[in-house]
Amino acid sequence: MSRVDRIWPLPGGIHPPEHKSESNGRPIARLPAPHHVVLPLHQNSGLPAEPMVAIGEQVQRGQLIAKGHHPVSALVHATISGRVTAIEDRPFAHPSGLSVPSIVIESLSDQEAALSPEAVSMAPMRDWATETKERLVSRIQEAGITGLGGAGFPSHIKYLGQRQIHTLIVNGVECEPYITADDRLMREHATDIVTGTQIALKILSASTAFIAIEDNKPEAISAIKAALVAVTDTRIKVKVVPTKYPSGGEKQLVYLLTGREVPSGDIPASLGIVMQNTGTLYAIKEAVVSGTPMTERVVTITGEGTPNPGNYWVTIGTPIQDALAATQVAVTGNRPRVIMGGPMMGYDVDITAPVSKVTNCLLVPSATEFPTAPDPDPCIRCGLCEQACPANLLPQKLFWNAVHHEWEQARLNSLSDCIECGACSWVCPSNIPLVQHYRFAKAEIKREAIETIKADQSRLRFEQRQARLERDAAEKDAKRKARAAEAAKAQAAKAQDTPSTLDASAKDAILASVARAKAKKAASTGPVTQEALENTVVLAQQAVDKTRVKLATAVSDGLPSVEALTGALQKLEKRLADAQSALQSHTETGDAP
Amino acid sequence: MSLMQRSSPHVMGRNTTSRIMLWVIVAALPGLLALSYFYGWGYLINTVICVVSAVLAEAAILMLRKRPVLKTLKDASAVLTGVLLGVTLPPFAPWWIMVIASGFAMVFVKHLYGGLGQNLFNPAMAAFALVLISFPLPMTTSWSTPEAISGEPLPSFSQQLSHNLEWQAYDGITMATPLDHYKTKIKRLTADELAQTPEYVAGPFYGILWVNLAFLLGGLLLLFLKIISWHGPVGLFTGLLVLALPFSADADSAMPVLMHLFAGATVFGAFFIVTDPASSATSNRGKFIFGFGVGILTYCIRTWGNFPDAIAFAVLLMNISAPFIDHYTRPRTYGKPKPVSGYKLPEESP
Amino acid sequence: MSIESHSPAPAVQNPTQDIIKDGLWRNNPALVQLLGLCPLLAVSGTVVNALGLGIATLLVLIGSNVAVSLIRNHVQDTVRLPAFVMIIASFTTTAELIMQAYAFELYQILGIFIPLIVTNCIILGRAEGFARKNTVWRSLVDGTMMGIGFMGILLLLGIIREVIGQGTLFAGMELMFGPAAVNWKWVIIPDYSQFLFAVLPPGAFVALGLLIAGKNVIDDRQKQRVQKAVDDQPALSRRVRVTGHIH
Repeated sequence: MSRVDRIWPLPGGIHPPEHKSESNGRPIARLPAPHHVVLPLHQNSGLPAEPMVAIGEQVQRGQLIAKGHHPVSALVHATISGRVTAIEDRPFAHPSGLSVPSIVIESLSDQEAALSPEAVSMAPMRDWATETKERLVSRIQEAGITGLGGAGFPSHIKYLGQRQIHTLIVNGVECEPYITADDRLMREHATDIVTGTQIALKILSASTAFIAIEDNKPEAISAIKAALVAVTDTRIKVKVVPTKYPSGGEKQLVYLLTGREVPSGDIPASLGIVMQNTGTLYAIKEAVVSGTPMTERVVTITGEGTPNPGNYWVTIGTPIQDALAATQVAVTGNRPRVIMGGPMMGYDVDITAPVSKVTNCLLVPSATEFPTAPDPDPCIRCGLCEQACPANLLPQKLFWNAVHHEWEQARLNSLSDCIECGACSWVCPSNIPLVQHYRFAKAEIKREAIETIKADQSRLRFEQRQARLERDAAEKDAKRKARAAEAAKAQAAKAQDTPSTLDASAKDAILASVARAKAKKAASTGPVTQEALENTVVLAQQAVDKTRVKLATAVSDGLPSVEALTGALQKLEKRLADAQSALQSHTETGDAP
Repeated sequence: MSLMQRSSPHVMGRNTTSRIMLWVIVAALPGLLALSYFYGWGYLINTVICVVSAVLAEAAILMLRKRPVLKTLKDASAVLTGVLLGVTLPPFAPWWIMVIASGFAMVFVKHLYGGLGQNLFNPAMAAFALVLISFPLPMTTSWSTPEAISGEPLPSFSQQLSHNLEWQAYDGITMATPLDHYKTKIKRLTADELAQTPEYVAGPFYGILWVNLAFLLGGLLLLFLKIISWHGPVGLFTGLLVLALPFSADADSAMPVLMHLFAGATVFGAFFIVTDPASSATSNRGKFIFGFGVGILTYCIRTWGNFPDAIAFAVLLMNISAPFIDHYTRPRTYGKPKPVSGYKLPEESP
Repeated sequence: MSIESHSPAPAVQNPTQDIIKDGLWRNNPALVQLLGLCPLLAVSGTVVNALGLGIATLLVLIGSNVAVSLIRNHVQDTVRLPAFVMIIASFTTTAELIMQAYAFELYQILGIFIPLIVTNCIILGRAEGFARKNTVWRSLVDGTMMGIGFMGILLLLGIIREVIGQGTLFAGMELMFGPAAVNWKWVIIPDYSQFLFAVLPPGAFVALGLLIAGKNVIDDRQKQRVQKAVDDQPALSRRVRVTGHIH
């Protein structure tokens, strides 16, 4: 089999119940336009944007209402025509459950709507094949397209990379149970997705595109294949991959299709590969060919708690509760429980939060559908997790590392390469929430790293302060030297035959030592802290050492300053001993006097 | 921990610890039945005594440790240890050996190390080693002889029961284990002469072969259910064969290869002992090396040692090495050029 | 640069009671310091062996502690260790000769472990750690108590292992106390088939482990009682600041 057709089987992986048939039977329906939308200025990835509209201002659908200065921040478009009613913190569909600054737009009354202009759109680029790469990329950016699959990273970034790309992978795997948004989109908009793929190929100057689809979506496969036959583009190939979770993970899919592994801590571009979700390519096609900015997406609304499971075009920014209510889900207060994403990697969200560009699924489970896991039993080290891990980790070892806070060991066991897919938790016979332990361990390691940086910084600060103190002392020293020289000159002028008992340099050295010691004393006044005492000891130690060196030179050179230096050294040594004993007694009592 | 909020994944597989244990017990049953068929009621009686005393001992130590008793017992790991001990201990051995072995396995080997999953040693094998070195006489002379070899019928259930409970001794024919027997005899006889002795007229290893095949059947079941992986067992067979093949060239002084494989506890050890996850190595490569080491040591102890069978000691020695093996057999993680090996992070890692 | 002084360390001001408590319980050489494990585990198979070695060690320990304390101000620091070893070796040889004279069979059973008392860490440890810095009287008390503490654990192990291993107690006491002791043997479990595990060294490890665990349990209980008594007292006006202890 040629390398192009070959599939490299994934290690590990699991086969959880698919639950796709509930939602993939009916065509994608369109939910009625929402009464109001909430558009977070902070997207899932990237930096926050700044609002370009004021409260009370009227906006059109598709109008740019916020943008960031940094290239990584995506643009925010109004997704309905209406009036800005608030710019304030609103709940955001994110695992953290944080609120972020958002623009709230309320739709206009019918009369107002009749008077206001149509939705804003950009000039269609029907013959995109003749456009320049730069113009296509800026169109993607202007349309506010972000990755619709995973982290919601602004899509144009992927097309701005410096690395040579040879392969585009279109991710239509959709391995998470329950979700069928990509499945339906591929069935109904196969031609659009193929066009989007061609646009992307052009931008990337890539030679090959693989459209990867799991073999549990035969309709989608045949739809895409039919569309490919129609366009006769030999660069694009459909690759059917076996149904297995998590084949759709970025790293996993790269291996599955090409047999190459994304290096640890790097992105697929390092292999000359870019991956795009089918939904993203559809949005790119819409933006380029039709000039429509991204204002809606397909969302699977499913779960036993939904009377009408299926796929819906949902306006981005629609509060989740409104979207659910539109499909006849009973919404009261903060009920029902909603998981955004699939059951394996999704997270519970606040239902007042809006649907975002990454909302591929709103899973509304019934009370019995996802029962709370029973208390975990002890790990019996059965190793099932190891057989299930798609990243070839030792989940069980990582678990023990997390439980015993052995961060060094966790790094030895490559914790950072864990993709948190949850396959290990799924197979665990003891019901141990392994992924939660890994998240905890990762957070702790991060925290410790930050603390190490902080400690390094304060050490640096301490060293710099010391350097500063010494510099000050040296300056004073120099001034004093100048004064002494002047005085000496004056004295010499007065009585020329009186010899000095000390040669100038030795005198200077003693003076400098005394001055430094004084400076230290001054520094250590005020509330006595451990740190201050330690500093005193260190400085005193340095002074002693320096004076010793001077004394040694003086002795070997036979200078007359030996006696004076010896006296100074004794004094300094005494000071050092005092400082040490002060520090010791402070440490022992562990208390300020 | 505040981190224990509801988070992904929200679904769990249907696997449970007790299901795994129960399947291992089920997989051991064919072997147990074959043992009982060829060697009499002793094995069944022993198994019952071992299971009961293991469960009681675990309950007692759980109470002492102030842990939930019923919830823990439900995982059936104590029952499994009891069954494993029952099929290992000699069928004519008195009841108190069972009780001591089960109690030691539960209290000292399992719970003093922290309970299920924390034990450094395989409880059944450590307990077997304990009673073997503590009571050498009953442990070497209480093995039963199949009817086809001794010409005498096996004791009836009541005879066996009253013998094992030490009410009334049964004066039956016992002999050393086939391995032990062959080992001693081959020092004086040639292989052909040995084949003529009454013990081997019925076949080179009558009975015990079927027992091993029955354990093999159970082992294959566990492999099929993916409760164990093939690495440990294959490692053990490889290790054993690496030494047995060249050394058994001289049939008149060494044990034949087939006897090494099918006349002792080899198959049982390969599928039921080496695969004990708690006391074995972790990674697949580690499991293979663990099994390989057990195989090598088994051959050495069998051939040059003084004990009737060597699996127990070989396993215990490898148990000690398991953490060390783990450090050098980490799998190569996705995206890493080579596996992280040893105790220190490689220099270039962030 | 070091300003550390080389003057002898100041004598530790323990009252005698503290020394006694240390030796017998708090700082028991076998249970807490885990010193002298080799003889402890090797010859605690029966009570008589344990007693024999225990007494020998006790005598050597007392002798060496007193002798070391006597010469403590007259030996150069640099050569103190050879001096201590010489002293200990002399006492050990004496004990060995006495044993040969009065309990020859026991001497033969204990074999190498009698001469090996020289290298027993307890003895050198007490010489270096205590007798070198303390008066003769205090060193005498310390040696006696440490010796008794060690012998006590040795005897306890001997009792446990003899009962479990052989089902008897005080078997073979005639080796030490002459023919009059032949009848001392006490068969606790008749027709006992030996439990070799207890007789062999691994059994000693397990038994010692259990003894240490037992001591820890008793200490914990004691601590809890004290803590409870403190808690029950009405709160004092004085606030105690505790730093640097997180358990």
